[in-house]
Amino acid sequence: MSALVCALAPLVLAGVLGPAGAGKLFGRGTARQAPRTALARLLRDGGRAALVLRALGAVELLLAAALLAPPATPLPGAAAALLGAGFLGYLGYAHAAAPGSSCGCTARQDAPLTWRAFVRAAAVLAGGVAAALAQQPWWTAAARRPAAALCLVLAAAAALTALSADPDRRWRMPLRRLRLRIAGHPLAATGHPLAATGHPLAAAGAPAAVPVAATVELLERSRAWQSASRVVRSALLDHWDDGGWRILQFAGVHGGGTAARPVLVLFAVDAAASLDTVREPAVRVSVIDADSGAPVMATA
Amino acid sequence: MSAYRTGDPLGRRRFLTAAALRGATVIGTGALSTGALSTGALGTGVIGATALGAVDADAAFAAPIRPLDPAVAESAFAEGRITAINHDVLEVAGSYGDHSRVRVTNATSVWKARATTAADIETGDGLYARGLPLPDGTLAADAVWVNIVNLHATIRGIEKTRLHLAHGQHEIVGNLMARTTSAAYGDASPTADLSRLTIGQSAQVLGAWRPSDGSVDLVRVAVAPGAGRRR
Repeated sequence: MSALVCALAPLVLAGVLGPAGAGKLFGRGTARQAPRTALARLLRDGGRAALVLRALGAVELLLAAALLAPPATPLPGAAAALLGAGFLGYLGYAHAAAPGSSCGCTARQDAPLTWRAFVRAAAVLAGGVAAALAQQPWWTAAARRPAAALCLVLAAAAALTALSADPDRRWRMPLRRLRLRIAGHPLAATGHPLAATGHPLAAAGAPAAVPVAATVELLERSRAWQSASRVVRSALLDHWDDGGWRILQFAGVHGGGTAARPVLVLFAVDAAASLDTVREPAVRVSVIDADSGAPVMATA
Repeated sequence: MSAYRTGDPLGRRRFLTAAALRGATVIGTGALSTGALSTGALGTGVIGATALGAVDADAAFAAPIRPLDPAVAESAFAEGRITAINHDVLEVAGSYGDHSRVRVTNATSVWKARATTAADIETGDGLYARGLPLPDGTLAADAVWVNIVNLHATIRGIEKTRLHLAHGQHEIVGNLMARTTSAAYGDASPTADLSRLTIGQSAQVLGAWRPSDGSVDLVRVAVAPGAGRRR
């Protein structure tokens, strides 16, 4: 098993170093990203950091190619292990010197330094050691035990994907966008709130329901609210719809001093109205005694 | 009066509906709003306010308004996690090591993703309360907002019953609530139409945090105007 792991290490390592190197060497973002990496802090110059990043990309590409070639010498593996060790050292420095900066590991995003970057660098180091110890070319080993090799490579790919700096942005969000495009917007039904629910009112052509938030917004900008707000002491206590009206219940205090008594302030607003549909809302206001339920004159 | 005093909620609502509809009719929007609102100058900055301060859910984050009426005592705020509930008094451990006791009355409005009653308040919930300080050291609450959260987030996933949101480095699950969750597109009124939300949008999210699993029950998702047009 360990022989198989060693034999396959060059393949996996090339799969990691190749794309990362190509991204650094040919990526348009390298020059833009370089000044924000910890490398720029180390070299005290963003331009120099970009050059170094591109050179590093070229080295990674060369290493990837050498790792895929027949293993004449353990040199490529040793070089990759050295690179991993170098990454680890650099990350340690960056973590201490510029904790907030991007590591520039893949030269593609502004991901801040996390434990993932360290694990990734350690994986490169371990992969390099394994590749240096490989006894046979990876294709020979893979041909001998294809199922085990496939499982190993898939597991390694999954582990490395999980370790990539921001799995969300790179594959989860695009996948979700794609699903929305293919399957349609999952909330499209809310555009016609009753349509998709099989609600009996849907057939009758009921207008789109107005959320309570919109009714409260309409009320709070109405003249009725301004006239009653001196009495109101609470936020919305309760609300319900009845016969096309939406009733909003508040608690309040009527009168001052010893004559002060608790009251309920009730507003009745058209349940289908919102600021978008009505310019001059009609609001019914009534103030009733909280204990007896008798109407109270609203002239405070 | 019998229907009003009985515990039967339907009878009570029927009575209150009749009382509300008997009330005076006032027509029109507020004097300052007609012009300013149509241009969006006031935007979401306008929040409902009473003599004691602001009242709607956004108000939990607004600075307390100084009352204009000298007869009205200045309102006080309390916030923190509820450590114990003794009848109608909530013991609250504040975020800065302070401690307060909040008294909930029949007239206290309780917000927990919707207007509800004090029976919905649980130990472990977070709380913002506004009310009057009483001589016995408790705060008689006019309004209590339970577990309210208000944050800037990015929409990272849309499903039938929930949204995936990113807030800084944190991944948050936002539960959609039927008939409660609304969306606000720009300056337009909140609407039940959530179909214009897209992945990648920045959103201002108002909701109630669920202490049990750390998710958020979404009340309102506000996104930039026109952002929903591109798909």
